[in-house]
Amino acid sequence: MMKIRKLLKPVASLRLTVVIFALSIFLIFAGTLAQVHSGIWTVVDQYFRSIIVSIDLQIFVPKDVATIPGAIWFPGGLTLGVAMLINLVAAHTVRFKLRKKRIGIILTHLGVILLLVGEFVTGFAAKEGNMTIREGETVNFVEDIRSSEISIVDQSDPVDDLVVVIPERFIETGEVISNSLFPFRIEVTEWMANSQMLGPMQAPESRKGIADSGVASELAAMPLPRANGVDGSTVDAPSAYVTFFDGETRLGSYLLSVYVDQPQRVEVDGRTYLVSLRFARTYKPYSLHLIDFKHDLFTGTQMARNYSSDVQLVDTTRNVDREVLIYMNHPLRHAGETFYQASFLRGDAGTVLQVVKNPGWLIPYLSCSIVTLGMLIHFGMRLVPATGRRS
Amino acid sequence: MMKKVQQILPWIVLVFALLYAGQKLVRPDQIDSDYNLDTFRRLPVSASGRTKPLDTVARNSLMNLSGRQSLKTDDGTMSAIEWYIELITNPELSVQRRVFRIDHPDVLALVGLDTEKRTRFSFAELRAAGNEINRQAGLAFDTKAKSRDPFQRAVLVLNQRMSLFSELSQLQNPYLVPPLTSGDDWRSFVNVLNESPSDPDALALLDVLQKYRSGTTEEGGTADEFNASLASYAALVDSEIEYDSRKSRYEVVFNQVQPFIIASTLFLMAFLFGCFGMLSSQLTKKDWSKSLFNSMTSLIVIAFIVQTIGIASRVYLQGRPPITNLYSSAVFIGWFGVIIGLIIDRQMKLGLGGIMASVIGFGTLVVAHNLGSSGDTMEMMQAVLDSNFWLTTHVVVVTIGYSATFFAGFLAIAYVLLGVLTKTLDREFGKSLIKMTYGVICFATVTSFVGTVLGGIWADQSWGRFWGWDAKENGAALIVLWNLLILHARWGGMIRDRGLVILAIFGNIITAWSWFGTNMLGVGLHSYGFTNSAVFWLSIFMLSQIALMGVGMLPMSLWRSKFAKSNPA
Repeated sequence: MMKIRKLLKPVASLRLTVVIFALSIFLIFAGTLAQVHSGIWTVVDQYFRSIIVSIDLQIFVPKDVATIPGAIWFPGGLTLGVAMLINLVAAHTVRFKLRKKRIGIILTHLGVILLLVGEFVTGFAAKEGNMTIREGETVNFVEDIRSSEISIVDQSDPVDDLVVVIPERFIETGEVISNSLFPFRIEVTEWMANSQMLGPMQAPESRKGIADSGVASELAAMPLPRANGVDGSTVDAPSAYVTFFDGETRLGSYLLSVYVDQPQRVEVDGRTYLVSLRFARTYKPYSLHLIDFKHDLFTGTQMARNYSSDVQLVDTTRNVDREVLIYMNHPLRHAGETFYQASFLRGDAGTVLQVVKNPGWLIPYLSCSIVTLGMLIHFGMRLVPATGRRS
Repeated sequence: MMKKVQQILPWIVLVFALLYAGQKLVRPDQIDSDYNLDTFRRLPVSASGRTKPLDTVARNSLMNLSGRQSLKTDDGTMSAIEWYIELITNPELSVQRRVFRIDHPDVLALVGLDTEKRTRFSFAELRAAGNEINRQAGLAFDTKAKSRDPFQRAVLVLNQRMSLFSELSQLQNPYLVPPLTSGDDWRSFVNVLNESPSDPDALALLDVLQKYRSGTTEEGGTADEFNASLASYAALVDSEIEYDSRKSRYEVVFNQVQPFIIASTLFLMAFLFGCFGMLSSQLTKKDWSKSLFNSMTSLIVIAFIVQTIGIASRVYLQGRPPITNLYSSAVFIGWFGVIIGLIIDRQMKLGLGGIMASVIGFGTLVVAHNLGSSGDTMEMMQAVLDSNFWLTTHVVVVTIGYSATFFAGFLAIAYVLLGVLTKTLDREFGKSLIKMTYGVICFATVTSFVGTVLGGIWADQSWGRFWGWDAKENGAALIVLWNLLILHARWGGMIRDRGLVILAIFGNIITAWSWFGTNMLGVGLHSYGFTNSAVFWLSIFMLSQIALMGVGMLPMSLWRSKFAKSNPA
């Protein structure tokens, strides 16, 4: 036992605690500034959930003041979080004494440990997605707006549709995609992680006529830099130019895009396949039917007073069939998931619900109550009499 | 004799402060006119989505255009409501009123008025250059907000002010006609006249305005006719929307009283008394300093009461928690700072808590005044910020945390300045000052942590994410971490008294950045929009804090207080 304590002593020091605090403060500061240039989720992954991060020096100075090249390596949030955890556990192992005076501190630190664990759970296990529902429509899948997929639907069977899905990671590499589940080969000519759609009159000459077949052949897609959250849009809208081959026969070049709602029709041997690029879907055992979406404004302004979605929730696996009103600060909780009013479609034609599944959602509540209690006990006992320096 | 004066002085000051605040509260300014504008300005209307009295609309509009709540003319001062009713009834005269404030020399040159030695101009003077202003504003509008130069920003402001003027004078804004039934929306006067010309509300209001016009121009009419017409319209509105009228009346009183102006005047006086108290304690006139400090405390207590009435009134009028925007957060930070100051003042009896309280009280009210100068400080909130128990407690507690962190920083500044510049920092004084700073940091740690957590709970309830790494959330986390860093460094013996105060001063920078700086980044849900002059003032504040840290790090031999010399860092 003594040996372990001796070994742990260096990692248990308060000096290390202060250093970790200082590093964390700098990391959070940099991670906040970085949000001016990159999207919040990019930053969260790069800075706060990473082992190590390369911080561009440019983020500290506005671009119009000076251009500063270079970057520094810095420990990421994961590293600092783990370091804090080790430091904390070690400190209590080395100095652990159950005395009345220390109950506050022990409680506080227990809560902090739980808080860190909770953030790890959220970082690894939480899933967020969107449900976009037009008024009168029923939807039974959640979309992940941070990744997309190509879907191929074969409707030739009168009872069931055959759906094949190709995830984004196979599309973005630009390789040839083929599989025994569909009779053609897909060559990705150009992949655009974020794009804008231009009409026939707007498109520059160089972008015209890349697609020669299908419903979107009149349109042109232009690549855009990834969305960063500052310029207004926070969602990447991917598009791709692809060419279909049946053996050696070229079936045509198509423009696939999340902007194009209608699927492309590809015909092989008299069979029609419906092909589209869409946000990655996860199908659910329940469905939501949007009865009505309301978007109220303050009188005489364009400022939103309220958004609300009146939906019918049907889940046959749980014998649920009820009407629910989802609105600001009043989410629906169902089947371990929570549905929030997040956004709406242009012209108030439908709603966008954010769907969150976070198995660790209760941990922060618990840990914060413990920390608060601990701090109140600790400072309550000592605030007035002492100046606090440890002798 | 001297003793008597010393004993009585605080009481005299207390009575004076009570009278000063009391007469403002009980007898607000009246309008000297035969026309019953007092009733007129209480009429409820709807602007920016909120039902409010015409008085508020008139004041905010005039404030927006000219930077003042009243108008100076050749024949004296015109109140906002007098200006407003003239604007909507007598356009020939109102376009001559000099209400547009223009400071930028290039904009003045643009409208051809750079030879005039004034800063306020009339609509008539600007009309000639209307097209050019429009064109320049168009160019500025097409430029990205961040890369606009000062001229472009000034032109945009002028253009926005001219459209506000036109909207007001053409009765498009605010919505003057009450809803048909209580659940409905307010209606635009012009629309109602066009679409349903026989609407009783609109006709009654039209009559009021016509009576005013005929009475004040050569058309011939009397004040009595206007008053009678107004009385019947007011009764009509009263019968239709009972509750709104009562609130409207209260809001007019609130506008007239301007409690935060009264409070800041009292804080300023308190500060002066505190300075004299410090001076006399320097001159070892202990009795005098005690008397002056007590006078200071009387002033602060009255100022605090007035400030509390002001905050409570806003809560009543808005039906919302005391903090809804940056303006109200500034007021609240000051209010809580005064509480801490008064507590410390009672404990230390050395005048310092009171001086801190008056500085923070006055300073935050000045900041608030500048933040609120562009319009209604009780604006409506975006739907997502709609009230909720967690949101309410979050903003209140986290603002208390900001307030306490600032307070610790200011105590630390006092330690440095008193130690370096004066001989007053003896062992006892120094120790108690450090004790206070430490205590306030502990308090700040608890409140900023709890406040941040409550924000997380609200976020989880609202969009399913306890922590989103949003700029403002990060700012709050920085404050918590900084306070924790100070405490752990202290517990670990890494810093002593001087280290504690220097780190506490840096806490001011972190708090200011979290409070204002994160809004300037223009990212995240919390960025409620910002002005450029604020960036300038924030930078000045941060530089001053760095300078003070530098002063604190001066070698001890340069400190004038002996205690400091005998107590190495």
